[in-house]
Amino acid sequence: MINHWIFNCKDISRLISRSMDQKLPLGIRLGIKFHLMMCDLCLRYKKQLELISKSMSKIETDRQDNYPTAHLPDQAKKEIKKALGF
Amino acid sequence: MDKYGDYLYSFALYRIQDDTTAQDLVQETLVGALKSKKNFKGQSSEKTWLTSILKYKIIDVIRKKYREPVLEEIDFESTFLDDHFDARGKWKTGPAKWESNPENLLEQKSFLDIVKKCIQELPKRQAMALTLREFEGETTQAICKVLNITTTNCWVILHRARSLMRYCIEANWLKKRE
Repeated sequence: MINHWIFNCKDISRLISRSMDQKLPLGIRLGIKFHLMMCDLCLRYKKQLELISKSMSKIETDRQDNYPTAHLPDQAKKEIKKALGF
Repeated sequence: MDKYGDYLYSFALYRIQDDTTAQDLVQETLVGALKSKKNFKGQSSEKTWLTSILKYKIIDVIRKKYREPVLEEIDFESTFLDDHFDARGKWKTGPAKWESNPENLLEQKSFLDIVKKCIQELPKRQAMALTLREFEGETTQAICKVLNITTTNCWVILHRARSLMRYCIEANWLKKRE
């Protein structure tokens, strides 16, 4: 447990990413929190990663609203219809 | 077919980036859907149902494509990550400030364009892992399966992907503001 209080910035950058993918054990979460209280750069890093994640969600939502963007070529359409038995 | 053909094609094309494969997948999806029509219970919309069939087919294609590990790619990236920290694991320069209120960036098209560009510049395997995670909301377990790697490697790849993305966005965004 004591070890968790001495994460360095390199550890923290890795753990911040990990925490976006799984729930970390309490000791580690406290270690991260403790480090972030003292380290502005890591806090900024964390916020920027969260912003990137939000941006990607936004890009995906915008894109879904904007379908269709590509059109099936006529030849492909014909073939698909044939395969479907129309 | 006429109703959803273009939609499904766009969906597949964006993720596969190969028009012939995308066309084949649309065909397989529609043929498959027609065969299993009785399984469609109308709980979701027709469009959602077809999309979910297509998604599985896309993941299958990706799985086959990424089965082989690409070792040199991983070596190259680890050097890149180490460069940001000194021997004691402290930031050398550290992340720069992007904006006083980062939430504003979400509303700026020029910022989102940079994000898109940076996704495309990621090494392929990382791009695949990150888009499956962020766009499709897949769990790391599912991503590991698709890319045929261990969970630990999956976390490493996602960490590198995010780190590279952050660096790429910062470089492009600050340059733009100058």
